[in-house]
Amino acid sequence: MKAIKHLMQYIKPYIWITILAPLLMVIEVFMDLLQPTIMQFIIDEGIAKNDMSIVISYAIIMIVLAIIGLGGGLGCIYFSSKVGVHVATDLRKDLYEVMSYFSTKKRDEVGTGKLITIMTSDVEMIQRALMMLLRIFVRGPLMFIGAVIIVWFTARELFNILLVIVPILMILIITFTIYSGKIFRKVQQSVDRVNEMLSENLAGIRVIKAFHRMKEQMDKFLQINKKLTKLNQNANMVMGFLNPLTMWIVNLGIVAALWIGVIQVEIGAIQIGVILAFVNYLNLIIGGLMMSVMVLMQVARAVPSLDRVYEMFNIEGEERHQKQDLHDIKGDVTFENVSFSYNENGENIVDQLNFHVNAGETVGIIGMTGTGKSTLLKLIPRLYDVSKGKIKIDGKDIQSFTLESLRKQIAFAPQKALLFAGSIASNLKFGSPNAVKEDMHHALDQANAMEFVEKYDDQVEHELSFGAKNLSGGQKQRLAMARAFIKDAKILILDDTTSAVDTISEKIIKNHLINDFKEQTLFIVSSKIATIQHADQIILMDDGRIHGIGTHDELLATNEEYREIYLLQQQSGGVLDAE
Amino acid sequence: MPNRPGGGHGRPTGPAPKAKDRKRTLFRIWQYVRNYNIQLTIVVVAVILSSVLTVFAPYYLGVIVDQYIMPKDIDGTIKNAVILGIIYLSISLLMWLQTFYMIKISMRVIQEVRQQLFDQLQLLPLEFFDKHQTGDLMSRVTNDVDNLNTALSQSVVQIISSVLTIVGTGIAMIYLSWQLAIASVIIIPVMFYTSKAIIKKSGKNYAMKQKDLGNLNGQIEENISGAEIITLFNAEKSKISDFNKMNEKYRQSAMKAEITSGFLGPTNNFLNNIGLTIVIGTGAIMVVTGPATIGLLASFTTYSRQFFRPINQISNLLNTLQSAIAGAERVFEMIDEKSEFIQDHEKKTLKSIKGDIRFENVSFAYNDSKMILQNINLDVKKGEMIAVVGPTGSGKTTLINLLSRFYSPTEGEIFVDGQPLSQYKIGDVRKLISVVLQDTYLFSGTILDNIRFGNPEATEEQVIEASTIARAHQFIKYLPNQYQEFVQPGGVNLSQGQRQLIAIARAILEDADLLILDEATSSVDTRTESLIQEGLNALMENKTTFVIAHRLKTIEASDQIIVLKNGDIIEKGNHQSLMENEGYYFEMQNQL
Repeated sequence: MKAIKHLMQYIKPYIWITILAPLLMVIEVFMDLLQPTIMQFIIDEGIAKNDMSIVISYAIIMIVLAIIGLGGGLGCIYFSSKVGVHVATDLRKDLYEVMSYFSTKKRDEVGTGKLITIMTSDVEMIQRALMMLLRIFVRGPLMFIGAVIIVWFTARELFNILLVIVPILMILIITFTIYSGKIFRKVQQSVDRVNEMLSENLAGIRVIKAFHRMKEQMDKFLQINKKLTKLNQNANMVMGFLNPLTMWIVNLGIVAALWIGVIQVEIGAIQIGVILAFVNYLNLIIGGLMMSVMVLMQVARAVPSLDRVYEMFNIEGEERHQKQDLHDIKGDVTFENVSFSYNENGENIVDQLNFHVNAGETVGIIGMTGTGKSTLLKLIPRLYDVSKGKIKIDGKDIQSFTLESLRKQIAFAPQKALLFAGSIASNLKFGSPNAVKEDMHHALDQANAMEFVEKYDDQVEHELSFGAKNLSGGQKQRLAMARAFIKDAKILILDDTTSAVDTISEKIIKNHLINDFKEQTLFIVSSKIATIQHADQIILMDDGRIHGIGTHDELLATNEEYREIYLLQQQSGGVLDAE
Repeated sequence: MPNRPGGGHGRPTGPAPKAKDRKRTLFRIWQYVRNYNIQLTIVVVAVILSSVLTVFAPYYLGVIVDQYIMPKDIDGTIKNAVILGIIYLSISLLMWLQTFYMIKISMRVIQEVRQQLFDQLQLLPLEFFDKHQTGDLMSRVTNDVDNLNTALSQSVVQIISSVLTIVGTGIAMIYLSWQLAIASVIIIPVMFYTSKAIIKKSGKNYAMKQKDLGNLNGQIEENISGAEIITLFNAEKSKISDFNKMNEKYRQSAMKAEITSGFLGPTNNFLNNIGLTIVIGTGAIMVVTGPATIGLLASFTTYSRQFFRPINQISNLLNTLQSAIAGAERVFEMIDEKSEFIQDHEKKTLKSIKGDIRFENVSFAYNDSKMILQNINLDVKKGEMIAVVGPTGSGKTTLINLLSRFYSPTEGEIFVDGQPLSQYKIGDVRKLISVVLQDTYLFSGTILDNIRFGNPEATEEQVIEASTIARAHQFIKYLPNQYQEFVQPGGVNLSQGQRQLIAIARAILEDADLLILDEATSSVDTRTESLIQEGLNALMENKTTFVIAHRLKTIEASDQIIVLKNGDIIEKGNHQSLMENEGYYFEMQNQL
C-alpha cells in the first residue's frame, strides 16, 4: 500500500492528464454504445416511415459520433502514454540518484544483479501496467456496469439470472487471479534462476571450457529449464481454464434466460425482444469482465515490481548533510583502535589497529592473503565505516566530514582495475574533470602507461569498451593508477596495483612514486617488499592485526616474520631452488 | 461470442524490427512444432469444431426463439434450451482442449529452443564471445525466446479461428445480399492502408526507442557495476547528469513510440464504425427502394460486426508475429554459429599426454587484426617447467590459450608428443590440461562445489587435500561454514587472493597431465605463494608445466625461460644463461 502511495507522488504532477485519459476513454466507449441505438432510430423512424432525409441525417450523426469517439480514443492513447512514460522516466531518474548514493555495504547487500533488474525491467513493468490501466481498465468495468444497469431497466424480469451468475463469476475471477498471481511469482523466481545461471555461465565461460565441463552445465540448466517450463505451463493453464469456464457460465445464463423467459412470455409478463436483448447484454458483460481480468493480471504482475522499487527508496543512502567540509588538509592520518567486521556479529576483519602517519609520509602494507589489507584501505575514504574506534585526518574524526569533501582529498586505485566505456581521456577525467592533454600525458607517464597509449593512432582519445576487454591486465592497472595520479589529492592509496605489471614498468612507476609524490601521504599495499621497501613505515598485517610496524631496516632487525618474507623474496628461485 | 482477450485496445506491442527472410524463419519454427503433430491435429480439429459451433449457436438460438418461444411451447423450449446448453458446454470443452494442447506444445518447443541456445553457448568458440556483448547474448535467450513463446501460444489458434470466422461470415453475408456484402468490404482497403502506415511509422519510432533503451540500460549496467569507482572519485553528480541526459532522450523517443503505436486501436475502431455506417446507409436505401427487408439489415449488421473483429485481431497479431519472427531470426542466427567441436567426431581421441610439447612457426592474430604472436618456435621436453615472461600485452596469455585450444593458430602447428595438436578432439585436450587462468572465476554455490569443479567425483578428503596444497584450507577452515560456505556469483565475497587460492585448488584436484599457471598467484602474498610452490613441486615432478609470472623469483628455477615481447620470442634459455646474456631478462631482473 505504501508503495502505491509512493507511486502516487510521481503521478501527482500529471494528475490532470491522468484523470483526463480515462475520461476520454469513457467518451469513446459511450459513442460505441450509442451506435446500436442510432441504428434502431434509422430502422424505426427512417426506413419504417420511408423517410430518406431522416436516414441521411442519422447516418451523418453516426459519422459525427464516430469522429467524436475517434477523438476520445486518440486522446486517451496520447495522454495515457504521456503519464506512463513521464512517471516511469521520473521514477527512473530518482531511483538512479538514490542508488548512486547507496553505501557500499547496502550495495553489497542488495546485489548488483538485482539493482540492474530493478532499474531496467521493474520500472518498465510499472510503465506498462500504468498505461494499460489508463487505457482499458476503465473500459472493462464501464461496459460491465453499463450493461448491468441497462438489464435492470429493460429486462428486470430476468435480472435474477444476473444475481446468480455475476457473484459466481466474480468469485471465480478473484480466486483465479489470486492463485495465478501466486504461481506467476514462482514463475518469476524461476526466470531469475535461468537468468542467473545464464549470466554466470557467460562470465565463467573460460573456466568451463578449461575444465571441459559443458556437459554438467547443460544438465544443470536442463533442470532449471524444465522447472521454469512446468511452472509457466501451470500458470498459463490456470488462465486457459478460466476463459472457457466463465464463458460456459455466461452461456448457461442464456439457457436460463430461455427457460425462464418462455414461462414469462407464456404468462405475458415479457416480450420476446427482452430475451434477445438480455442475451446481447450478457455478451457485453462477459466482454467487460474478461477485459478487466486482463488488466488485473498485468497489474498483479506489476505490484511486486512496485514493491521492489519502493524498497530501494527506503534504503538509507550515505548521509550527505549536516557535516563539515574538509578543506586543504595536510594529510596526517591516525588509526585509533580501529576494528571492522562486515556483519554485526561477524569476525573482525581488521582488529584494533593503531598507527599514525605524518603528512607526506609513505606507508607500505604487507601481509598474507585475506588478512584485511584491502579492508583497511577501504575504511579511509569510508567505503565502509569502522565498527569500533576512530580514523582521524589532521587530528579530526573522518566521521565528522561530508563524504564528498573527504573523498575529494583521497585518490584511490583499487585492486580490481575497472575502466569505463569511453576514451582513455574520459576515464582520466574521472580523476580530474578539467584535466588538459598535458596533465593526462604527465599522469600516464607516471604510471608508465604512455608507452602503450602512444601506440594508438588516436592516443588518449582511444576508445575502450566497458571493462576494457581489449587490454591486458597490466595495461588496465596502469591506466587505473594514472586515473588516481591525475587527481592530485593529498592522500594517495594504491591497493596492490602492480600485481600484473611487468617488473620494468613497475620500477619506473616506483621511481615516480618516490620522486613526484613527496607532498602526499601514500598508502601502498603490495606483496613484494621491493615495492614498499622505501616507505617511511611498513605495516605487517597478520590475521587482521598489526604484527609489526616500522621502517624496512627496523622490521628486518626486530621482526622474525618480516625477515622471513624478505629472505624468501631475496632468494634466487624462491623455494623451488631449495629442493 | 464474447471478446477474446487480445482484441480491441490491447497493449500496443509495437512493430518490431523487420524480419529478413520471413518464410525461411517460419519454416524453421514449423520444424519444431511439427514434432507434436498429434497434439497439433487435436488443436486444429478443436479450433474448427468450436468455430463452427460458435457460428451455429446463435443460429440455433434464433431457431428456438422462432419455433418454440413464439408459439409458447414451454416443453419444447426447455428441451432445446438444454441441447443448446450442451452445445455451449462442447464449445467450452473444445476451447479448453485447444488451449491446453497449445500451451503444452508451445512450452515444450520453447524449452527445447532455450536449451538448444544454452547448449550452443557451451559449444561456441571463444571468438564468438569476444565478438558479442554479454547483454546481447542474454537478451536472445530471454527476450527473444519469450516473444516467440507469446506468438506461438496465441497465434495458431487465433489465426485459424479468425480466418474461419472471416470466411464463414463472408459467405453468409454474400448469401444474404451481395450488394450489402460489397458495401461492408469497401472500408477494408482503407483499414489496410492506415494500419500499414501506422505500423510503418511506429516501427521507425520503436527502433529509435529500442536503441535509446539499449544505451540507457548499458549505462545503468556499467554504472552499477562500477559504483565503487564512481563513489571513490566523487563522480556521482556527473554520472547522474549523464544518466539524466540519456533518460530524457529515452523519455522523448518512448513517448513518440507509445503514442504512434497506440493510435492503431482507436483508428481501427473508428474505421469499423464508419464501415458499419456505410452498411446501414446502403441497407436503408435498399430497404426503401425495395430489394431488402429490415430483418435482413438487422442480421447483416450483426454479421459485419463479426466480420470486422477478426480482421482487427489479425492486424494486431501480425504485429506480435513480426517481432516474434525477428526474435526467432536472432535465435537461429546463434544456433547456426559453428560449434568449435564441429569436426570433433572425425578427430582422434587423446587418452594421455606424456608431455613433449613443440611449437612450430606458430603465429596468431585475432580476426585479421595485427599479429599477436609471430613465428613462435618452442621445444619443451616431458616433465620440464617452462616459464613465459615479458612486458604486459606481449602475448603470453595468448600463447597458452593456443595450447589449451581456446583459439587455433593462424599459422603453424603445435605438436604434442610428436603429433599435431589439431588432430585430437578438443575436449580430450582440455581434459588433459589443468589451467589456472589469470582471471579466476568462481560460480555461485559452496566452496566445495567450486573446488569439485575440477573433478566432480572427488571425495571430500581429496578436496581438503587439494586445498591444503593450495593453501586455501588455511582460510577456509576459519569460515563459519567452512567448505559449505556459500560463494556469491564471481566469488565477490572473497578477497582476490582467496579466489586465486581456490582456483589453484580446483586445478590441483583435476590433476591432469599438463599444468598451466597464468599469473596464478599475482594477488597472493609471497609467503603463501612459496608454500604453494612447495606443495606443487611434488605434483609437478613428472609433469610438463607452463608458468606465466611477473614475480621473477618464482620462475628462476624453470628449465626453460622464454621472454616474449610484442609477440616475438626475444630471448630463450634458463635463468643463468639469460642473466649472463645481459639482455632484456637481465634488465627485468635488475629492477627488483
